[in-house]
Amino acid sequence: MLKLMKYEFRKTMFSKMILLVITAILELLFLAGIFLNWDNGLAWGIIGLTLCAIVGIFYIGLESLMVFHRDLNTKQSYMLFLTPYDSYQILGAKVLENGLSLLLSGCFFAALAAIDFSVTVVYLGGFKELVSVVSQLLKQISVEIHFTTAESLIEVFAVLSVWLMTIVTGFLAIVLCATVLAGKRFSGFVSFLIFLLIFWGSSFLTNRIPNGLGTTMYYLVNILAALALTAVMYLISG
Amino acid sequence: MLECKEITKVYGRKAAVDHVSLKLEPGHIYAMLGPNGSGKTTLMKMAVGLVKPNSGGFWYQEAPVGKESRREIAYMSTEPYFYNWMTAGDVGRYYDDFFEDFSMEHYQSLLKRMELTPDMKTKTLSSGMMAKLKIAVTMARKAKVYLLDEPLNGIDLLARDVIVQTVIEQCGSDVVLVISSHLVDELERVVDSAIFMKEGYLALMGDVEELRVQQGKSMVDLYREIYGHGGEEGC
Repeated sequence: MLKLMKYEFRKTMFSKMILLVITAILELLFLAGIFLNWDNGLAWGIIGLTLCAIVGIFYIGLESLMVFHRDLNTKQSYMLFLTPYDSYQILGAKVLENGLSLLLSGCFFAALAAIDFSVTVVYLGGFKELVSVVSQLLKQISVEIHFTTAESLIEVFAVLSVWLMTIVTGFLAIVLCATVLAGKRFSGFVSFLIFLLIFWGSSFLTNRIPNGLGTTMYYLVNILAALALTAVMYLISG
Repeated sequence: MLECKEITKVYGRKAAVDHVSLKLEPGHIYAMLGPNGSGKTTLMKMAVGLVKPNSGGFWYQEAPVGKESRREIAYMSTEPYFYNWMTAGDVGRYYDDFFEDFSMEHYQSLLKRMELTPDMKTKTLSSGMMAKLKIAVTMARKAKVYLLDEPLNGIDLLARDVIVQTVIEQCGSDVVLVISSHLVDELERVVDSAIFMKEGYLALMGDVEELRVQQGKSMVDLYREIYGHGGEEGC
C-alpha cells in the first residue's frame, strides 16, 4: 500500500512543488518587509502567505478529486487496477495520501506562521508592536482576526478533517458516476447532486454536536465525527 | 488454468460478450480472432478483472480472478495507458514496484531491442514506439498468463517481427499466451490454437493443426468463412 501511496504522491508532486516555490517567494517578501522595514513587502507577504495556505490546502484536495476522476475514467485506470490490490486498498491509498498531504500542509503552514510570528516578535521587540503592525495592515484591507493558540491549532485540524471528509464524499460521487450511473444521461450532474446531498447530511450530523462542550472539546468531537464520516464514505466507495 | 463459464457482459442493450465458456491450458499460444466489436477486448478485460461481467465469471487456478490472479496474469491493453508524466524508465520502475515477476534486467534488454531508451517520455512516443514499450514492459514479467490485446496494431512489418519474436520467446510449457489481432496470417505462423469470436459469442475454438486436418482449411480460410461475405450462417 505504501507503493500505491508513493505513486499517488507522485501524481500531484508537481503542483505541490509549485505551491512550495510560491510560498518560498512570499516568505522572502515577508522577511524582506520585516528586515528592511518595507511595509508593502510585509503586507503582500502576510496576505500572500495567508492566501497561499488557504488556497493551497483547498487545491490539494481538489486536485486529488481530479486525479481520481481521471484514474477512473481514462485508460490510465489500468495502471492502478491491473496491480495486485483490491479497490479498498487502491482507494485507501488515495485517502491516506490525501489525508497526510493535508495534515502535513496544515502543519507546514502552521509552523511557518509560528516561525514568522516569532521572528516578528523578536525583531520588532515585542508582541504589542507586532499586534499593532498587523492590526494596521489588516485595517487597511478591512479584515479582523483573533489571536489564539491551542484553540487555533485544533480549529485548523477541524477544518482539515472536514475538508478531508468533503474530498472523500467527492470520491464517493465520482465512484457512483463511474459505476452505478455509468452510461446514463446526466450522470455527472446526478452524482454532483448526490455529493451535495451527502455533504448536507454530513453537515447536518456534525451540526448536532452540542456547543456547551467547551471550545476544545467541541472541535475535538467535530474532528472525530468528520473522521468517522470519512471512514463511512470510504467503505461505501470501496 | 484460466477458464470462463457462461460469461456475459452487456453494455446498454448490446451483449459485448454473450455466454462464452472456454478453457485455456498452459503450453499453448492462442490467437483470439474476430472483427471489431466481436468481444475480444471485453473478454480479455474480464479475465483480469478490469470489467465486471453481468453473469458468469472467470477463474484462474480454480479461484475467481481478482487481485491474487493479477500477480500471475499479465495483460497488455491495446490503448496506451501509462501516466503522462512517465518516462520509459519510470514505467519499468512502476512495474518493478508492483509485480514480483518483473525483471528490470530483462526490461532493459527489451528496451534496447525495441530501440527505446529509458529517458523517453511516454507522452511523446509515436504509436509504434508506444506499442513496443507496452510489449517490453509486459513481456519483462515472468507471468503464467499473457493476454495481449492487438499487439501488432499500427506496427510496421519490421517492428512486427521484433514484437512477435519477443512474445514467442516467453512461451513455455507452463505458460498461456493469448494474442488478439486482425492480422490472421501474421498469427498463423506462431500460434497453435485459435479462438474465433463473433458478435460476442464464441464461434469456434480449437487446435490450429486439428482444424486444418478436420476441416481442410487454414486459419485464414476459416477466418474468411466465419466473418467473410456469406460466412455468417456457417458458424
